[in-house]
Amino acid sequence: MPEAPGTDGAGNEAGTGGAGHSGHPGASVPTGAPQFQVAAKNPRRVEGAVAVAFLASLLAFAAFGAAFWVAASSWVLGVTLGVALSAFGFALVAWGKYLMPQGPFEEPRPQMATTPAEKQEFVADFATRGKVAVERRGVLVKLMGAAGAVLGVVLAFPLIRSLGPRPNQEQSLYHTKWRKGAKLTSIEGRAVRVDDIEIGGIITVFPPDDLGGAFSQTVLIRVQQTGDIVTEPGRETWGPHGYLAFSKVCTHAGCPVGLYEELTQQLLCPCHQSLFDIGTGAMPVFGPAPRPLPQLPLYVDSKGYLRAQADYDEPIGPGFWYRGGSNGGPQ
Amino acid sequence: MLALALAAVFYAPRHPAHASPSRPLGSAVLVDARVPGTSAALAQGRTLFDENCSSCHGTQAQGSSLAPNLRGLGSATVDLWVSSGWMPLANPGVQPARKPSHFTPSQTLGIARYVASLAPGGLAIPTVDLKGASSAEGFSVFALNCAPCHTITGAGDALSNGIVAPPLHGVTGTQIEEAVRTGPGNMPRFSTFTVSKQQLADVVDYVTRYVEHPDSPGGGLTLGGVGPVAEGFVGLFAGVGLCVLIALWIGDRNESSGESEPGHGDGSHDEGPGTETPEREVAHA
Amino acid sequence: MIDSLFSWIDDRVALSRSGRHLLDKIFPDHWSFMIGEIALYSFIVLMLTGVFLTLYFVPSSTPVVYHGVYAPLRGQTVSAAFDSTVNLSFQVRGGLLMRQMHHWAANIFVGAIVVHMLRVFFTGAFRRPREANWMLGTTLLILAIFNGFLGYSLPDDLISGTGIRIAFSIMESIPFVGTYLAYFLFGGSFPGTAIIPRFFILHVLVLPLLIIGLLAGHLGMLVKHKHAQFPGKGARDDNVVGSPLWPTYAAKAGGFFFLTTGVTALLGAIVQINPIWQYGQYYAYKVSYAVQPDWYMGWLDGALRVMPSWELNLPGHMIPTVFFPAVLLPGLTFNLIYAWPFIEAKLSGDTAEHHLLERPRDKPLRTAIGAAVFAFYFVLFGASATDVLANYLSLSLNVVLWAFRILCIVVPIVVFPVTYKICLELRATPGAGQRKRHNLVVRTADGGYTTIAAEEYPGYVKAELEPVALDQVDLVSAMAADADQGTEGVYQIPRDYR
Repeated sequence: MPEAPGTDGAGNEAGTGGAGHSGHPGASVPTGAPQFQVAAKNPRRVEGAVAVAFLASLLAFAAFGAAFWVAASSWVLGVTLGVALSAFGFALVAWGKYLMPQGPFEEPRPQMATTPAEKQEFVADFATRGKVAVERRGVLVKLMGAAGAVLGVVLAFPLIRSLGPRPNQEQSLYHTKWRKGAKLTSIEGRAVRVDDIEIGGIITVFPPDDLGGAFSQTVLIRVQQTGDIVTEPGRETWGPHGYLAFSKVCTHAGCPVGLYEELTQQLLCPCHQSLFDIGTGAMPVFGPAPRPLPQLPLYVDSKGYLRAQADYDEPIGPGFWYRGGSNGGPQ
Repeated sequence: MLALALAAVFYAPRHPAHASPSRPLGSAVLVDARVPGTSAALAQGRTLFDENCSSCHGTQAQGSSLAPNLRGLGSATVDLWVSSGWMPLANPGVQPARKPSHFTPSQTLGIARYVASLAPGGLAIPTVDLKGASSAEGFSVFALNCAPCHTITGAGDALSNGIVAPPLHGVTGTQIEEAVRTGPGNMPRFSTFTVSKQQLADVVDYVTRYVEHPDSPGGGLTLGGVGPVAEGFVGLFAGVGLCVLIALWIGDRNESSGESEPGHGDGSHDEGPGTETPEREVAHA
Repeated sequence: MIDSLFSWIDDRVALSRSGRHLLDKIFPDHWSFMIGEIALYSFIVLMLTGVFLTLYFVPSSTPVVYHGVYAPLRGQTVSAAFDSTVNLSFQVRGGLLMRQMHHWAANIFVGAIVVHMLRVFFTGAFRRPREANWMLGTTLLILAIFNGFLGYSLPDDLISGTGIRIAFSIMESIPFVGTYLAYFLFGGSFPGTAIIPRFFILHVLVLPLLIIGLLAGHLGMLVKHKHAQFPGKGARDDNVVGSPLWPTYAAKAGGFFFLTTGVTALLGAIVQINPIWQYGQYYAYKVSYAVQPDWYMGWLDGALRVMPSWELNLPGHMIPTVFFPAVLLPGLTFNLIYAWPFIEAKLSGDTAEHHLLERPRDKPLRTAIGAAVFAFYFVLFGASATDVLANYLSLSLNVVLWAFRILCIVVPIVVFPVTYKICLELRATPGAGQRKRHNLVVRTADGGYTTIAAEEYPGYVKAELEPVALDQVDLVSAMAADADQGTEGVYQIPRDYR
């Protein structure tokens, strides 16, 4: 390799010399100028410190390897690795900071702004070539544009045709799986009977065909021993035997509202702390929730099972654009 | 007055009328067999009750304007409130925090048995039987029924209006069973339908073996188990902070204003929005 | 061997023809210019640890029964994603360390970007010609936040699943297209089974590629412009003063990479993060209290908490309450950040090119605006912990929430004038923030007292050196000469340390 560029690749620091570059220290900066001296007051001591740090990192890297070999616990691995990397980094930085010419050095910086002449020339070149290329071929340009436009439109097709169903096709925004007569069922699949829950008790229930359903999840609370409990006018029969059932999906951001404060008879949402007063139909009394939790109308069948009279009478959960008004259902 | 009203809100155990005798909780075991010398224990419990409790709850535990009626509540409720140090109250008006109990376990049992002997009804102190308990099933039940308030790590958290779901660290299996079945304060009570006897034993197994020892599988300091907020503070102040300190060491620490060297630069950097204040001119002068 | 290899390569790319220029590239030395490097190095750590994690992570919602080593999960039905995350934590050598390092690096990554951004803002480094790079950096911040959220969601644990539920609600809240966006992203209604694999491919491929591409542009523009610098001896708009890339800066920056990685490894070793085995599998009907997102989403969570319960009802339609704090607020925020260089140029009428930075105190209005806006978001960040704060301070949750509702309005209003005044005071105080010199009280011969400034103590050298143009000197022979002398170096503080 006779034409090899000299010593450029031979060594680390020698490489900066650059073949053919005849160094000529400026008249104002002699070779011995302080800019070229190392920053360390006592280079020997710094060299020692760097050596110790490299040695420490070597040992710690080896320790990390050993710890990994014997499958030591996570913190042993992490501490050996962290100490090794930190010591290695410390040594490198100290070397660069204290044992190299302290400078400062400078290089020129061109202005970014171009001159009007430069701009004009470039724009003229661009426009002229473009003009020559498309001149008298206007039809082609238009066709190219049209094809490109169609491409742009169809590129969106996978997004809107295959990523997921359109929300108005799925009725889950407006309806849950609760149906007339659906038994209130625990997550284990046991239907709740009227004497199964104590006063001050709470349980999460689902329709039997949708156990664990994200939208049909409902909290069932018993607030008194006997008699219907009325939260609002028009809901006279919804709360038999002191039972109340509300959607467990917060009307704010959709978290499960499962925090029941029994003495104050309030439900708290764990995410953003909306507070619902169950005695008044889960009206929001604090926090960011804008609407009450929808109430599930209940009845007790002849065998004592709790059943839903119907689905919720409004969309459950957080609002969305197509949810018309405060009672909005599907349009 | 406000304090009393608050106290009533915080402490009112359910009125005995609520405590339906038909509740399907018959599986709990009475404690009599565990206390030798029944009548002596009762007498000691009565003395302790008279000395420590009767001033508020009344000599026959019938309640007063200061404190609720305890008759018919059963020994489990009394045992829970006394053994966890909630009673006697340190500070009426604030939800009691867990503290070392005033009484030895046998004294606590005596008080509980004495109160239970005053009127029938209520739940007896349960016996925890962890034979065959499954911590995996307990974890699952815990996540559904307990974590919403006590957090999944058992660290506890503040509910609304000063109500607190207390941390579960240091609780005993008996206390867990008593709390789940009696629903102290604002805690709902869970029937055997919601949490079966076996499931409750599973929960006790999970809480006492794992929730109370959150660091057992490793990973380092647990930051109180309060989730990403604490992690964020550590990430920002320990992580980014340490790296910035390292940068401070590596780099230079001056940023000349150029005030001592008028004429460097092109001067245009001195003009910015709304900074042409008189003070600026003074500083230059 | 190395010679011939280099020669072979060089003959094909002509590296040596521009080599000297490359090696001489100057980087200013100020510490605050290294904050962006923290973000860069964290990103490298994220990629290295992330590749490790992908070897074991299964991006699928398929239900499986857990059979691993953690007893309380054994026998539970969990998703393959959760199962594999727990297994890689406990059954893969170094897996837990890698996962914790990955998570900590993510927290540090976004944090360093924010601090870097504050540095750029308060020193005016976004001014012409760097407006585009400012916007590129803002885009990187947004992508970093998004990718952080995706990564936080992947283990499919109880806490992150709740976060995905909220994300679904937020998407739903967008007028006209919201429900469509949500259904297209989730492949149907929440929760579905598509979200984990989709988040995975976004998290490990799409967003990292975007970040790498924009990062290359960000650094490319930095090389083109050369780094901005503080004014100082010899520092002008038409030069750049500092250390040469090779070898000084390379050693410092390389060392800093290892130090940053070391800090991440130590955090990963010592401090537990996201212990998903304690959280368990996410089910839509299960929830834990004290749920928050990672810190960089905290300001959004805080905004959701302090937002009053306003909902806009229109005929047949509604704009849900979450739209305002979770869509409108970040939209306004990032558009304001994008537009700031142009807003400021418009206000000040200053459209000239700048390469010299400003001290925050020298631009009181900008500094005050920045501090007030930052304070607003910091309060929102604090509001994401209302419940935890209420618990620790033994206060009512309601009181804490109301306090934050008030604070997020009051704090910026207070911070603005206070910052403005501090800037003016600092500017009017000569030597503010600089090392003090002692005053000596001297008694004169006739019994009077006078005060004089003490002399500088030994070794406190103020001399600021002239920068040396590297293309005018031969660094090699200078270094060699220095080495030949074998004398001790003369300790000089490189720049002015007044």
